[in-house]
Amino acid sequence: MTRIWTEKGGFAANDPYVIETEERQAGEGEIALLPLEDFLTKAAESNDANLAVVLKPADDVRRLEPFIGRIALVAVTFPAFNDGRGFSQAVWLREKVGFTGSLRAVGDVLLDLIPHMLRTGFDSLAITNPVAIARLEAGNLPGIAEHYQPSVKPAAAGAAYSWRRRG
Amino acid sequence: MYRYDEFDRDFVNARVEEFRDQVARRMSGELADDAFKPLRLMNGVYLQLHAYMLRVAIPYGTMNSRQVRMLAHIARRYDRGYGHFTTRQNIQFNWPALSDIPDILAELATVEMHAIQTSGNCIRNVTSDQFAGAAIDEVADPRPYAEILRQWSTVHPEFSFLPRKFKIAITGAEHDRAAIQFHDIGLHLKKNDKGELGFGFYIGGGQGRTPFVAKKIHDFVPEADLLAYTTAVLRVYNLYGRRDNKYKARIKILVHETGVEELTRQIDEEFARLKGGELTLPEADIKAIAEYFKAPVFLERPEGWESLARWKKADEGFARWVERNVHPHKNPDYASITISLKPIGGIPGDATDAQMDAVADIAEEYGFDEVRVTHEQNLVLPHVALADLEPVYRALTAAGLATANAGFITDIIACPGLDYCALANARSIPLSQEISTRFGSPERQAEIGDLKIKISGCINACGHHHAGHIGLLGVEKKGTELYQITLGGSADEHSSIGEIIGRGFEPEKVTDAIETLIETYLGLRLKPEETFLEAYRRVGPKPFKDALYGASPAEAA
Repeated sequence: MTRIWTEKGGFAANDPYVIETEERQAGEGEIALLPLEDFLTKAAESNDANLAVVLKPADDVRRLEPFIGRIALVAVTFPAFNDGRGFSQAVWLREKVGFTGSLRAVGDVLLDLIPHMLRTGFDSLAITNPVAIARLEAGNLPGIAEHYQPSVKPAAAGAAYSWRRRG
Repeated sequence: MYRYDEFDRDFVNARVEEFRDQVARRMSGELADDAFKPLRLMNGVYLQLHAYMLRVAIPYGTMNSRQVRMLAHIARRYDRGYGHFTTRQNIQFNWPALSDIPDILAELATVEMHAIQTSGNCIRNVTSDQFAGAAIDEVADPRPYAEILRQWSTVHPEFSFLPRKFKIAITGAEHDRAAIQFHDIGLHLKKNDKGELGFGFYIGGGQGRTPFVAKKIHDFVPEADLLAYTTAVLRVYNLYGRRDNKYKARIKILVHETGVEELTRQIDEEFARLKGGELTLPEADIKAIAEYFKAPVFLERPEGWESLARWKKADEGFARWVERNVHPHKNPDYASITISLKPIGGIPGDATDAQMDAVADIAEEYGFDEVRVTHEQNLVLPHVALADLEPVYRALTAAGLATANAGFITDIIACPGLDYCALANARSIPLSQEISTRFGSPERQAEIGDLKIKISGCINACGHHHAGHIGLLGVEKKGTELYQITLGGSADEHSSIGEIIGRGFEPEKVTDAIETLIETYLGLRLKPEETFLEAYRRVGPKPFKDALYGASPAEAA
């Protein structure tokens, strides 16, 4: 069972975003997470706001740029725990494309990846892994407070050198 | 050398606890083995043929005696009394128990050491010139930049799950002892015509099954832009490097397939966005880090000149050792010395706990408390007064560490091979021992002169065979071990990839084949000063091929 966790609100009881399948379509009050090509078509053909898109690792995030103000949520897919493209996609979405809406990690979202995800600009996670769910429920995330590099998430300056951050 | 501040200590302790938690989850089954794998690798824990192996980081190969003693202690307490120094200037322990590893990491943390990112698909230990800070031909000490890169790359949130491992090397001298052109990123620290420091920036070098010499993509990246430019390279690689085939996942393949011009354009476009941003290095920070690497105060010791001449005259063994293992130093009263971990007939790179303790004692007494590891699997004392060379030699001799063969045919790089490694096809270590024994007499080695033999037990090329003047590659053909010979490789500022000379040799025939190559070289060199590599570059492979396989080209095919 996949559960949605956000940095602000913890586990969400109701999440409106749906990755559509043949059996499951977005209904009343729900928002479909469209694959990139479908999203681009829909965005070009309408003036709808509050859109949502789900990216695959090879998708070029820069293609979202013309529509960025109309997107409420971007989901970035981690197809396997060792595929780190989603981290760079997230950085580009935040820093290059200027996306300020919700950024969600979907796919193989494992406990030990979560600290990296939160630092690279994700604020929302779709989690299936029971250990990760249990640890998040207990408020017991892994991770280290000292960082040796700036990243997307604002953090206090670390001691001594310009590249360090804490928190 | 660099010393931890409170921030570093907090970080390393937190990292140990994080790994302890991961090991506990693995043991309880909460963490699947395949998901645990990248986590343990990024903490230096590798699964080998017979056991777990722990690879401890020695950043750019620099240690103090306290750290060397800790390595000796770990070898004694948790392993079988020895450690193995590697081509990334690290040390491997081959027999630790997984359950002991969090404790080993905690012990290492007490002397400001760790095993972070010594394995896995992340940015690995940054390597450098073993004579950094001492070398006579150095523009500036490369280690402050290596340290900045080490810090920046540590647990990088974006670059911890790259397509494949990523290796950075840096040299501060024109003569490249750090093999920068065989690295994912190679940095050549230099001055521009205004006297400012910056980097000749190379990318896409590497060995493995598809070797490439790196391409220079910029002649001068200012030092302030080091992290911004490196980030641009890593980001483009992380997004576009191949992930469908692990043998095509290194940046060298991305460079090759995308083309160096197009890839440079993409990197430069990303750099243009990052330039002047928060990754820009303030001059004060570079200075503050450089301060840690300030040379010790070298008192004048001119009496060494006269003593040295006298000692050499009195002891032929000492004279030979000085000739090969003692290198010029910035200060004429001092020298850097290579401690050979290549005893004749021994295992390249291995040191016992007692030997490590001896090195620590010598470094403390005579060497300003500094020890280096070389990528050629030896140790170095970077600063020793000429006046102290004789007692240092005596102490090294007592520890079995005074083999006078730096840069000679017996100074062999070899991967662990089939004796340890799950990937290997061949036994690199016994072969290197046989070669070392065959050519081990001092007269024979001196006659042959400078010659680098490098042995890899499989195509992954951990023994750097592509860069060997003579390279040996273990392959498996129809269930038997064979060795392919390459000639003419080199990893310095004139890098080249060795060329395969012909069909492979059975293990018991390889040493004879090398003897044939050596005799051929000795017969055709113009003068004793013409090295094997120079001679090979002059005459090409034909005389060597003919000598090995007979003159008929059909037979050699």
